[in-house]
Amino acid sequence: MTKVTKQKKDKETSSKHLELENQLKRTLADYQNLERRIEEERRLLSRLSAALLIEKLLPILDNLESAQQHLNDQGLELVIKQFKETLQNEGVQEIEAQDQEFDPKYHEAIDSEPGDIDNKVTKVVTKGYKIEDKVLRPSRVIVTKKDNNINQNENMEAIENV
Amino acid sequence: MSKVIGIDLGTTNSVVAVVEGGKPKVIHSAEGRNIIPSVVDPTKHIVGDVAKRQQIVNPKTTIFSVKRLMGRKFKDPEVQKDAKWLPYEVKSGREGMAVVNVEGKDYTPQEISAMVLGKIKADAEAYLGEKVDKAVITVPAYFDDSQRQATKQAGEIAGLTVERIINEPTAAALAYGLDKSHGHTVAVYDLGGGTFDISILELGEGVFEVKATNGDTHLGGDDFDSKIVEYLLAEFKKESGVDASNDKQALQRIRDAAEKAKIELSSATETEISIPYLTADSTGPKHLALKLSRSKLEQIVGDLVDKTLDPVKSCLKDSKIDAKGIDEVILVGGMTRMPLVVKKVQEFFGREPHKGLNPDEVVAIGAAVQGAVLTGEMKEMVLLDVTPLTLGIETLGGVSTPLITRNTTVPTSKSETFSTAADNQTSVEINVLQGERPMASDNKSLGRFILDGIPPAPRGMPQVEVTFDLDASGILNVKAKDKATNKEQSIKITGSTGLTDEEIARMTKEAEEHAKEDEERKGEIETRNHADSLIYQAEKALKDGGDKVPADVKTEVEEKIKALKEVAAGGPIDEVKTKSEELSTSLSKIGESMYKGQEAPQSEATPGANGQTEETPADDSKSNNASDKVEEGEVVKE
Repeated sequence: MTKVTKQKKDKETSSKHLELENQLKRTLADYQNLERRIEEERRLLSRLSAALLIEKLLPILDNLESAQQHLNDQGLELVIKQFKETLQNEGVQEIEAQDQEFDPKYHEAIDSEPGDIDNKVTKVVTKGYKIEDKVLRPSRVIVTKKDNNINQNENMEAIENV
Repeated sequence: MSKVIGIDLGTTNSVVAVVEGGKPKVIHSAEGRNIIPSVVDPTKHIVGDVAKRQQIVNPKTTIFSVKRLMGRKFKDPEVQKDAKWLPYEVKSGREGMAVVNVEGKDYTPQEISAMVLGKIKADAEAYLGEKVDKAVITVPAYFDDSQRQATKQAGEIAGLTVERIINEPTAAALAYGLDKSHGHTVAVYDLGGGTFDISILELGEGVFEVKATNGDTHLGGDDFDSKIVEYLLAEFKKESGVDASNDKQALQRIRDAAEKAKIELSSATETEISIPYLTADSTGPKHLALKLSRSKLEQIVGDLVDKTLDPVKSCLKDSKIDAKGIDEVILVGGMTRMPLVVKKVQEFFGREPHKGLNPDEVVAIGAAVQGAVLTGEMKEMVLLDVTPLTLGIETLGGVSTPLITRNTTVPTSKSETFSTAADNQTSVEINVLQGERPMASDNKSLGRFILDGIPPAPRGMPQVEVTFDLDASGILNVKAKDKATNKEQSIKITGSTGLTDEEIARMTKEAEEHAKEDEERKGEIETRNHADSLIYQAEKALKDGGDKVPADVKTEVEEKIKALKEVAAGGPIDEVKTKSEELSTSLSKIGESMYKGQEAPQSEATPGANGQTEETPADDSKSNNASDKVEEGEVVKE
């Protein structure tokens, strides 16, 4: 009887041992990964935190630009220029879209209109920006569609009402 | 040592999480976002945000909400309803299943979802810096077997071994670490982007059971946004006299502002909406500038929140629990950040819901926790899946002998040794049964096969080891092996948990109702089986003993055998019992030495001879085919 108990105990100890070893390995692996990631994130962090702030400033730039379209004011023109230069110094670039081929990696289509060829950006509704190769905000664009049938509008409504 | 990731494969968005250093963490996508839109353009192989951005240009090739079609027949009324508004083509594919047709090519919902899962896998690998090939995927509690299998297949197409499919509400409960120390009835209120689900779970014996589920497949955050947009459009018209509802660009800006205001009003009581230069008419540019208070917002969307309460009531009714009987309430889905939703839910259940985790991520987090439990990285967490009904085989007299009892946590494996019921029986038939009733005929037969080629031997001598192996996904492997010849035969049954909740409920209920009579019937058969085996033993003992048995004992035993034989098959059960006892007493007189070496290899649980009395000739040539035979349900790739 005691022998059986001892055997059982040994078995338990060795399975506990395996379990702990397994967990230790996992924890070590996690730790190493974490170190690597922290290093990566540290490198990105300064840029990322800038990116977060810039994202919030972009709508203000949009509004200044639309104001300028209506007012055509020389002083405002200078303010916008200053704003854009500051962004450029932070590594922010405007995404080119006008007359380009539509690329959903950088552009977001908000409407389409009939055209001679497919997928050409005819109008930039809101400018898009990127920092390095990271898209801060895609350009919101209107895209041509060759066979623009009547159903198109219905379909878009359906998408919007999902 | 690879990680098991947890995936919330949603109708609108998907989220992936993993446990690291004992803590669940959401993995951000390559785009730096925590959620990935469940949107795919299969013609261009683009997924997520990028696919969503081109949705308006390519409405027929951009597939979204495909979860609504997953594992459903095209004729399914739900599919019929959805096919009407989905801008892409939905049609009937192989075996009448709903598929989508994109530029002349059919894609199953599995294939479409696999593309989302493929991106998730790649993003997770980039994040973890190692290969990821195992996952736990969540599904709505109401998903049936076919929908679950389809989800599993989607994972496999994406190169992921799906370790477990778990219910979304269960995952949410896991994320909050609910266990036995908490109340055992849990309500999960899930208001997401496009769907609303309510589930009542019951925690018992370390297992979550879904008691009832209800919801509205077309109610979610998007409806709230639309209501706010409507309001803003009306206000703008009042102020400026311009109707902006046909101006797509203006509409897009209003929609963005509406969503932003909705989010802001979850923490602030008032927000300012300002959209300068929204549009222009002959009098000049028009701006939208207004203050929106939380109470105004609550007026605008109040009826939508109220709309969720009807399914909640029906769900409680189905689960036969009243609101007061709910111990814990969990909120899931981005819309549950809205204070009005929290308030209404709290009022309804009379208790404060669990908060703290990001409601968009809580399901994925729970799935990751389950994944970590499976790898042994986390412990003492409740395990989820159980077999809802008992699995067993048919034994002598049509009795159902259980091997894996209901509510056993899977994966599990169980072996038991059985024997033959007649002398020189060379084959046994294994009839695999599912159900709670003691008699085989009252349970569901999942499949049967024959193990033959057993060397002729007296009954009770051959040892046939029957092994049931039920994997985590409910796939049952049954193997029978003759220990003497090592000859074996097996069957794979994929539909072993493929019953609907109703079927399970019905079978369980029937078992309870018939418990008494069934028990009597089983008892009777066991008594008769026992008598039969006793007669056999006695006759054998006399024969083996030969002259060594004293004449008076021999006569006594012979008389008792005769008496028992008369009643064993059809006589009154009480007499069978008494006569069995009498024979047993006399038999003991023959002497212990006679018994040694002939102990039958019977299991303790089922004394007497087990196994079918079948003596099917061995020329059935089932030996090779049967092992790969899938009796029912879908063929599941392993």
